[in-house]
Amino acid sequence: MASSTNKASQLDWQTQREVELFLFHEAELADANRYEEWLALWTEELLYWVPSNNDELDPQRKISIIYDKRTQLEDRIFRLGTKHAYAQRPRSRLTRLVSNIVLEDFDESSGGFVSSRFIVAELRNHVQTLWSGRMRHKLIREGSEWRINEKHVFLLNNDTPVGNMTFII
Amino acid sequence: MNQQIIQSSNENLNQSSAPGRADWDKTALAALVEDGRIHSRVYTDSDIFELEMERIFSVSWLFVGHESEVSAPGDYQTRTLGRTPVIMVRGKDKSVRVLVNRCRHRGAQVCETESGNTKFFRCWYHGWVFDTDGALAELTGEEAYDDSMDREAMGLTPMPRVESYRGFVFASLAAEGEPLDDFLGGAKAIIDLMVDASPTSELYADGGSHKTEYRGNWKLVGMDGYHPLHLHASVMETIHRDPDSGIGSTHRSNPFDDTAATYTRDFGHGHSMLDFREHRIKHYEQHCEFLKKTPGGAEYIDAMHKAHGEERARMLLSISGDPHLGLFPNMQLIHNQIRIVTPLAADQTQVEMIAVRLGGVSDEINADRLRHHESFYGPAGAGSPDDTEIFERVQRGMIAEVNPWLDISRGVSREYKDVDGSTVGRISDEVPQRGIFRHWAKLMTQSA
Repeated sequence: MASSTNKASQLDWQTQREVELFLFHEAELADANRYEEWLALWTEELLYWVPSNNDELDPQRKISIIYDKRTQLEDRIFRLGTKHAYAQRPRSRLTRLVSNIVLEDFDESSGGFVSSRFIVAELRNHVQTLWSGRMRHKLIREGSEWRINEKHVFLLNNDTPVGNMTFII
Repeated sequence: MNQQIIQSSNENLNQSSAPGRADWDKTALAALVEDGRIHSRVYTDSDIFELEMERIFSVSWLFVGHESEVSAPGDYQTRTLGRTPVIMVRGKDKSVRVLVNRCRHRGAQVCETESGNTKFFRCWYHGWVFDTDGALAELTGEEAYDDSMDREAMGLTPMPRVESYRGFVFASLAAEGEPLDDFLGGAKAIIDLMVDASPTSELYADGGSHKTEYRGNWKLVGMDGYHPLHLHASVMETIHRDPDSGIGSTHRSNPFDDTAATYTRDFGHGHSMLDFREHRIKHYEQHCEFLKKTPGGAEYIDAMHKAHGEERARMLLSISGDPHLGLFPNMQLIHNQIRIVTPLAADQTQVEMIAVRLGGVSDEINADRLRHHESFYGPAGAGSPDDTEIFERVQRGMIAEVNPWLDISRGVSREYKDVDGSTVGRISDEVPQRGIFRHWAKLMTQSA
């Protein structure tokens, strides 16, 4: 949740804006299904996590919708890039809003956690589906660039039946 | 008393006077299924769907849940059987009951949460309270009812028949019918493959779940060994990068080639499997090496040998708790999951995939199994979404009424009867489809 350390008087507006623009850039690549460029935003070691059923589960004891380390995320992106990932043939058409961006325990030189909210409208097979929830990114500064070390996506409806979610959430 | 209520409602449904359904007399239904082809109306017709609800889902044994989901007194789990909302609950006497989730007063559901632990089920409409054994425990404003209100008869309606096999709880809405043992038949030994993947033969259905839905008919989820090389070509390509990555659900080499020692098997009753046993055991050593990479892997192998003996342990470890069994009409055991199929409409289906945990093995081994599940199954897995995508394309295509027959004749001339009475074909043969529709036609056309 939003940390109280982000009082307006202490806020580093430049870092806040940099992080916001970074998340918008990530959203742009995800919306456009630009998989390889999206993958390039990540650090070598990584965790991409979308829990199933509830937000607090222990992933070592419960299945998640996505629990990708680097190998699994590379598999995911490789598979989507083949000609035979039919769940993304045609690709989802996506447009998402990322908002309520709050930096937590964040250091402008090394990074930290960012919480945000999202709404994704997806159009596929003439059906529009709305996805929404909370996100928590762990960002790390590599040189002049921000990189995603962890991304946790807490879907609003992770406890109800959902259809095809093979696009980048 | 309660059973009479259920039966009488069935009798009403069975009357073919309902609009639209009159056309589907038994001759017309029987004509939809031939040995090598089926008419697409079996998947698309909403009147046939209504008939399935009464002739299959109100008659057959249906899978409800696993006893481990309600391990302590007061534990409950809600499910939907056909269209009937039920509560599987362990009472104070420790026995597991399956109660219809419907207040006996005015019909409101008395349990709205999916699972939990409770002392009572309270209907929030007028305050009626039911015990975990279903009995009416509190009737508000009792003085307004005279002696004609039989409180004992006003408990939550129990499913007329409930039986379990090795922790798997089944129920039937029909008061009369074959015992569960006869219903399961040859499939029992296949269920054992999952249970006995634990050295202590303990299965815990507590690994969380994936809940998915698709716009297609419930019978499209079947056992099909023909599609993986084609529909899952992207997964096959990915497996080649690293066979141990989990994306291929620990399949080794190519089990879907018709020259592999892999088979389709129909046990009757619409139960069928993709039988990987002979193929997997050839990769036993390789699988053990894979297990040994995980903490507790070597101990798991030892414990299996001690518990089940050399020969059976080799087979059980090779198959890795993956029976690949489809139990008609609503359960499948695939990979590390118990799968429940819930039909909503002719063209709408929900599938819940409940991950299991094996007793007597390390947390790391169980965690590995969860990771393998995630990689292929669920709404963002590498496999399931391609399956549901094709089910939806099938449903859209089948609306066409020109050439409405669907071909399920693959391998019809090379299938044979095994010594156990099951019908066996090569892995890509449509033995399961033929088995399912033979049984479907029998249920849909038999006299009530």
